[in-house]
Amino acid sequence: MTVFLVLVMLFAGAYLVAVLEGWTSTGRLRFAGPFWAAVALLGRESIVPRKPDRVLYETAPVLLLVSAVLAAAVLPLGPHLVIADLATGALAVNAALAYVMVALVMAGWGPDGAYAMVAGWRFLGQLVAYSMLIVMPITAVAMRAGSLVTTTIVESQAGIWNALTQPLGFVLFFLAAMAVCFLPPFDLPTAPGELAGGIEAEYAGPRLAVVRLARMVLVVSLSLAVTVFFLGGWLGPFLPGWAWTSLKTLVVAATMLTAGRYVPRLRGEHVMEWGWKLGIPLALVNIFWVGITLVLRSM
Amino acid sequence: MAQAFFTGFFGLAAIWFGVVVFRTSSMVRSALALLFSQAAIGAMFLAMQTEFLGVLQIMMMATEMAIMAIFMVMYMMDPGGLGGMDMTHQKRLSIAAGIFGGAAAVAVSLLGGWGTVGPSTMPEAQVAALGEELLGRSMLVFETAGITILTAMIAATAVAIERRR
Repeated sequence: MTVFLVLVMLFAGAYLVAVLEGWTSTGRLRFAGPFWAAVALLGRESIVPRKPDRVLYETAPVLLLVSAVLAAAVLPLGPHLVIADLATGALAVNAALAYVMVALVMAGWGPDGAYAMVAGWRFLGQLVAYSMLIVMPITAVAMRAGSLVTTTIVESQAGIWNALTQPLGFVLFFLAAMAVCFLPPFDLPTAPGELAGGIEAEYAGPRLAVVRLARMVLVVSLSLAVTVFFLGGWLGPFLPGWAWTSLKTLVVAATMLTAGRYVPRLRGEHVMEWGWKLGIPLALVNIFWVGITLVLRSM
Repeated sequence: MAQAFFTGFFGLAAIWFGVVVFRTSSMVRSALALLFSQAAIGAMFLAMQTEFLGVLQIMMMATEMAIMAIFMVMYMMDPGGLGGMDMTHQKRLSIAAGIFGGAAAVAVSLLGGWGTVGPSTMPEAQVAALGEELLGRSMLVFETAGITILTAMIAATAVAIERRR
């Protein structure tokens, strides 16, 4: 039952994110937009490139969707509304997100097309830049909770949200989350206007529909991760827990989608440079800061 | 029973993907097959109720194998395997080493005294115990290993960079 509920909410979230993305990119709020887009994609012929690496080509969209769903599976929507409340939940999120990169490298290599391949390897480079900024802020969050269990992490924020006690970690994680779902300005693997869609370039019809859906689910999963780790998850007055989680997740997703529209696309080497020369030292400062506050509080 | 089934299933999957590594002539396929072989070992850890090790294995291998794939594509002459390149070499020696290694592993598993299997501790307790081990008794060992690897990485990069005037 919990699995069903969480999946329904995840895909409902993906639908709303698709509406939001349409709104931010075209300026028109159309609630039927995602439905028509899906009908159009499912009705179209799914052209396969001439000499694809068939296994990788067919696996990639499904793997992308599965890893996005698995990341959400360990994140709680409410106190008891979580598919798998693992003892290593905060680590399992990272494990699932690592396969986003694997899926994109497969989608890049599989179709035997130049644009797609460049896009796939680009995302691998992007992962090298952002992955530490996913892991290190989560480390600081787990330090405060004294646990890797995601529900315990939410409960540890009952007094004050992590976003307020660890603003540095919050900002770094937020930006890294945008890089994971390759949203602008980190949209190097799709790069509209430059790579003709990149990893999406060689997919068409139902296969492209799966890729698009997977990306929307990924945006929801990452927004949920920001909510759970930094914005107090289900905690809030009056409304039930799941409503607070959904509301916060949608606000985070909307912020992610809107923020990127006002910044030009970053170049790969700049993402790498800022990630390693600025991001990682700041993430270390964040861990040090959280450590100091924890020691001071325990005295 | 279910535990034995899943451990065996993922074990066989790990072996199968290991075989695929050498049956393909594409570098990327080979690297990804190795990744899924290692991920299957991670799933074995999960089936054997060592949650932290399982999740860590599944996470680490994704990045490592992808990095390996990019290096292979960079340095190999025929990364796509379109030229019918052979992935194997020194066949006789490899077959002999493989048979000897496999026989040794089977012998150890059959002849070794495994003792009685105790009940596994709760995953939370495992994580806590592992954390105390890493930040307590074994800290110096891990820090030394970490610094050594970092030094090797920096040295390798420094050697590889083109010298600019």
